[in-house]
Amino acid sequence: MPELHTIVCVKVVPKPEEVRVDPETWRLVREGARSEVNPPDMNAMEIALRLKDRHGGRVTILSMGPAFFEPDLRTSLAMGADHICLLSDAAFAGADTLATTYTLAQAARKLERFDLVICGEESSDGATGQVPSGLAEWLDLPQLTLVTEVTLDRDGATVRGRRGIPGGFEILEVPMPAVLSVRTACNEPRFMDYRIKPWSEEPARLTTWTAADMGCEPAFIGQKGSPTIVAGLRQAESRARRRERLEGSPKQAAELLLERLKPYL
Amino acid sequence: MTASAPALAPGYSIENENRTLWVYLEQRAGELEPVSLEILGKARELADQVGWPLVGLLCGSDVAHMAPQAGAAGADRVVVADDPLLRHFTVDAYAKVAYQAIAEARPSVFLAGATPNGRDLAGRLAVRLRTGLNADCTALSLDPATGLLTSEVTGFGGGVLALLEIPRCRPQMATVRPGVFPPAVLDKQRKADEIRLAVDLDPVTLWTRVVERQVGAQVDLTQAPILVCGGRGIDGDFASLRALAELFGGEVGATRPPVDQGFIERERQVGQTGVVCRPRVALALGISGAFHFVVGIEHAEIVVAVNNDPDAPIFDVADYGIVGDAAKVIPELVRLLRAEREAVHA
Amino acid sequence: MEARIEAVPLDDEAWDRFAKRTGGAAAACFQCGVCTATCPWGLVRETPPSVRHLIRAAQLGRPNANEAAWLCTACGECEQACPRQVPIAEVFRGLRGLLWERREVPEGLPSVLWSMHWNRNPWSQPPSQRMRWAEGLDLPPFDPQAHEIVLYIGCTASYEPRAQKVARAVIRLLRAANVAFGVLGETEPCCGEAALSLGHRAYFEDISRTTAATLAERGVRRLVTISPHAFDVFRHHYPPGVLETTHYVAYLATLAQEGRLPLERALPKRITYHDPCLLGRKDQSYDAPRSLLEAIPELSLVEMEHHRENALCCGGGGGRMWMETPRGERFADVRIQEALATDSDFVVTACPFCIVMLEDSLRGMADQRMKVVDLGELLTLAIPDEAILA
Repeated sequence: MPELHTIVCVKVVPKPEEVRVDPETWRLVREGARSEVNPPDMNAMEIALRLKDRHGGRVTILSMGPAFFEPDLRTSLAMGADHICLLSDAAFAGADTLATTYTLAQAARKLERFDLVICGEESSDGATGQVPSGLAEWLDLPQLTLVTEVTLDRDGATVRGRRGIPGGFEILEVPMPAVLSVRTACNEPRFMDYRIKPWSEEPARLTTWTAADMGCEPAFIGQKGSPTIVAGLRQAESRARRRERLEGSPKQAAELLLERLKPYL
Repeated sequence: MTASAPALAPGYSIENENRTLWVYLEQRAGELEPVSLEILGKARELADQVGWPLVGLLCGSDVAHMAPQAGAAGADRVVVADDPLLRHFTVDAYAKVAYQAIAEARPSVFLAGATPNGRDLAGRLAVRLRTGLNADCTALSLDPATGLLTSEVTGFGGGVLALLEIPRCRPQMATVRPGVFPPAVLDKQRKADEIRLAVDLDPVTLWTRVVERQVGAQVDLTQAPILVCGGRGIDGDFASLRALAELFGGEVGATRPPVDQGFIERERQVGQTGVVCRPRVALALGISGAFHFVVGIEHAEIVVAVNNDPDAPIFDVADYGIVGDAAKVIPELVRLLRAEREAVHA
Repeated sequence: MEARIEAVPLDDEAWDRFAKRTGGAAAACFQCGVCTATCPWGLVRETPPSVRHLIRAAQLGRPNANEAAWLCTACGECEQACPRQVPIAEVFRGLRGLLWERREVPEGLPSVLWSMHWNRNPWSQPPSQRMRWAEGLDLPPFDPQAHEIVLYIGCTASYEPRAQKVARAVIRLLRAANVAFGVLGETEPCCGEAALSLGHRAYFEDISRTTAATLAERGVRRLVTISPHAFDVFRHHYPPGVLETTHYVAYLATLAQEGRLPLERALPKRITYHDPCLLGRKDQSYDAPRSLLEAIPELSLVEMEHHRENALCCGGGGGRMWMETPRGERFADVRIQEALATDSDFVVTACPFCIVMLEDSLRGMADQRMKVVDLGELLTLAIPDEAILA
């Protein structure tokens, strides 16, 4: 049986609280914002690494982004992933989820044999949560989304995922290869193993692919391949806590409170 | 796995769309999900503004009885796909059926709730149809002149608001955040035409198998949408917190002192050395707000604090604060929520 | 018929590796057991962990890295008593290092280190908000030409609301004494103490290297810290001869001696002083805080039963601030009882961790007459208003 090969899609994102919208140009200002690996992708990596602990094999990180993603992506190697494929090309810029998932799917195809593609539930910047489903569709593969635990039957070539449903849980099974998305904060990602840190910094551990390397159709990538456009952008009102005191008798305060909470229930 | 590019599937476009507005009607256990009623309400408003028919897509097994409710909520037509293989949601089956219906009807707009199933379905459909999908929208508008849907979405942890449009590809897809729009007001006089969709599913082509499904007590505070936390100030009365949590559809958490005193199990301790949660709403009842605890709820969208002490640090990190006795406020909340629940079921 | 005794293989290589990892810490131990006898865990457990056994197992090449390795609060009682000056806390850190390699660490600890990596602080707080607490204080950015010292705020005082009050108090005192000080601001680097005490030496070395470089770049030579933990790590675990690190208590004591700190207002209170382990036993700094307290007019200092060299640990050191201690096993509960027995208005201390642990313990008590106060906070009460407002 060939070794287990798991792909994990990882995005490097700016720290959300450090991103601003320029009120004059309506542009997203990311410069100066510290970056981090999208936290849900850390949970996805942990799932992949637990499968590697259990079944052996290797983990490939796939990431679409510019070269400055590299140092943050390499933390995944220090956690135990084997290789990074960075999909980097000016032509990828401005991609919405259709173009992004197409690009990731092309990369996965180029990697040829894989058993699983694991993604975080969503990214902290765009937060669409659509990449896992979209990717599964491009690859014409089954999907299990929002899983918190994963087990494999390598002989039967199936994967089982546990996911929460209102008031309980379910365990679903699909054949492999499959695409999984992992519930945010469902596990505690292991810290970097400093014994392998020097190895994780070796240049050979990261390969960069351009659109041409992956045989991408120009009409399907980047801005050209994106049906969605941004028609407007603005800073949301401050996320500082409102600190509003609700006055009155317990009855009145309770009524006021429920009125305030309505949009969130 | 071959390296060939995917076929450039002929998604339809603005050139050959039909000016209709479709809503995916999510159902569970024989009832339309609240989010579907919310979307129908909003969609009815949009449909009236532009003068387009509003169509609901209802999939499942033995679901036709829900079609009249969709009509009462505003749908002009309900397309029903009824088949035993659709009894439980699987993205494989539902995407096949929905794609078939959409490819035939070519609606201009297709909306779904941004629920786990809704997102799964919409995510696959958008790629299958080679169109755009605006996710988890908090506002929608439809231009009568251009027929263009503008969706408002948030990003960067809610710090940025973006307006998105899909100028050419069709359908214009959007998933709507549950709880943003009020549910449609039901008009029992309103009737929708029902159209049966022929469902042709080969079970062999369906991938997803349900191995186990259990609905029962599960303690996973990290996934609770509403977290009701009790501290020293509730004097161990977790029974009323449980009642409140149940009415909110959430879970009970606690600070360390009541755990220490044996009023509640350690698994429910929230904080730096307990569980760190990300609920939509966190209620801190009878909790002073020590840092260790606050770290456990600081990611909540909304924090509510009830405490006797007006200087309690918890009020600094709360959106809504009530200075008062939690023991008096909680029963009022319970009473109000119970009354509301009874009204809905009446 | 004799029962078979299983021979346990000794592993010289494992011992060599462990010795290397810990700088030979366990080598000098001759198994007298005084460490086990002095360990404060003996106050809260019927069968406390045997420190002696743990050291022995390490010497035999079978380091017993298990849950007992996480109990050490690095209080220094054992090291103080040890006739061979074995750096026992280092042995514990070595055992913890092994557990990190095996990935057998208590839940929550990897997240602390990840937080240090992504957020530059162990508290999971946004790095861009490090100076939020200081809004309106007009703290000058450090200028090596103009400033005598850097006031190193540290992660805890930057983000933890109770500790922020201590920082504000210390700043008021520095201003009252007309000290030319600066702060490092939003990019103040994390000292890395949490990584060290949690036993992840490799990560500590990484973070401390970066911090040392940042401090050098900014021309920092003299640091005054708010937290004894930052003080200890800069003093003993950063390259020697580069930084001159002082804790604010010693610094203020010097200022008072020089007549720069006008401790003039009477404070007719009865107080007791809790020696933080890293200032007391570790740094032998018992007199500096007491000299400051004695300088406050009408203040009456009563010592607890265990004070100075024998002070009882609050339980927050050794990384235990990030671990849960079950009720009934908390050193702070014992310590608060001792403090209450002195019938004091305040139990005064000089460490943000001690304050958190002691206040947490006090919160549970019916008797709320006593308050936990930081030494800096107490001193501001003794400074005339004019001096502070100047």
